[in-house]
Amino acid sequence: MRTLALRTSGVALVLIVWELVGRRLGDALLAPPSSVIAQFVPQLLDGSILAALGGSLRQMFVGFALAYAIGVPLGVAMARLRLVDALVHPWLNMAVVTSVAALVPLFILFLGTGFWFQVSIVFIAAFWFVILAVCHGARGIEPRLLEVGRAFGARPLQSFSKIMLPALFPYLFAGARIGLTHAIRAMVVAEMFVIVGYGALIHNAGLTVSTAPLLGLILLLMVLGIVANWSLTRLSRLLAPWYEHRAGG
Amino acid sequence: MRLGRDVLDGKLVVALLNALPALLIGSGLALFVGIPAGFALGRSRALATMFDPVIDAVYTIPPVAFVPFLIIWFGLYLWARVALVFLMSIFEVIIAVSTGARDVNPGFLDVGRAFGARGLMLAWKVTLPAMLPFLFLAVRIALVRGINAMITAELFFAAVNLGFLMNDDARRFDTAGLLSVIVLLALFGLLVQEGLKVLEARALPWHLREAA
Repeated sequence: MRTLALRTSGVALVLIVWELVGRRLGDALLAPPSSVIAQFVPQLLDGSILAALGGSLRQMFVGFALAYAIGVPLGVAMARLRLVDALVHPWLNMAVVTSVAALVPLFILFLGTGFWFQVSIVFIAAFWFVILAVCHGARGIEPRLLEVGRAFGARPLQSFSKIMLPALFPYLFAGARIGLTHAIRAMVVAEMFVIVGYGALIHNAGLTVSTAPLLGLILLLMVLGIVANWSLTRLSRLLAPWYEHRAGG
Repeated sequence: MRLGRDVLDGKLVVALLNALPALLIGSGLALFVGIPAGFALGRSRALATMFDPVIDAVYTIPPVAFVPFLIIWFGLYLWARVALVFLMSIFEVIIAVSTGARDVNPGFLDVGRAFGARGLMLAWKVTLPAMLPFLFLAVRIALVRGINAMITAELFFAAVNLGFLMNDDARRFDTAGLLSVIVLLALFGLLVQEGLKVLEARALPWHLREAA
């Protein structure tokens, strides 16, 4: 009860300060929440914004799904096989510190600015973080579990699907969550660079007199991120409630 | 090959050096604001319950989405880049520092209190040293994210320094030139990250011994 009150008061406080400062500065510099709602909600109901977001998300999901599908086995392989680790680790170190934005001009030269360009930017942004999370998890699998499997005559592939994957479960979700966050970021970077889809909406909103539509678009992205995180957490709790104590965080 | 040539003729080095002020000012500001804020959030349960949801929510916004907004406020040049660097690192700094402040061993605090340390003195003599590893982590994150933000800013605001080189190379379909900038940035990021790790190992040897 007290937690709830504090939480609401925190959010309310931020909104009030934003409203007051926004009123002072005016719509052109910082539109207060009241005018963001007044101006953005009609635009949102019009449907074209959601259509653009939907289109962008589709490309994002293709990229993310590819990154996940390749990243998970590679992450496990990195943790279990020294050769793969030696091959991939230097690239992983380098990729994690590299900015996705810096790769954008290069990818445009190779792939143009269409569907595959966006998919591959999202892929490259999410891929390494999926690997990182999964590899971290796979390193921590108790050797005991694998030995028991071997004692019962499990083949490598069987021990992967029957022992490692279940043991990795919390990390698979952590990887999905981190990967998805980076995928959404990369989607915005790619789209704002070539000015298409939802990114184009943000870019064009920046050129109008009022900041209200722009802030509305930014807030919509925030809602998207929160929903994505929340639903992945819910899903992991539904599928494996016994990991609750480890997966939080 | 190409990286070597461009570095030798100084073009890349000059561009990188010109890019640094935005990085240093932005990360510096992020640390300056983020460390006290993270400390407060980590030590006060009430503040954490109040503002954690807000911070988590804002943190999920892709920073690049703020670019048009930052252009309105800060224009296209140095201060816009500083602002993006600040935005991209501040939340991670707050999260790292507040985690550190929250995880301080309560035993240390009890001992401090038993010896009569109160309030600020307790914070300065006990909490702060206990969370030093997290402060190092915060600096590392601020700089690595800052480098990331720096090149993003140079590409998304007015194309200058490394961003200008990249745009120029892209216009001439010069993939070798593009790659050399990317590799330079990656190496620079790695250098900063590993350098700070070495520094941390020197400064806080006991921490690493505990971890090992």
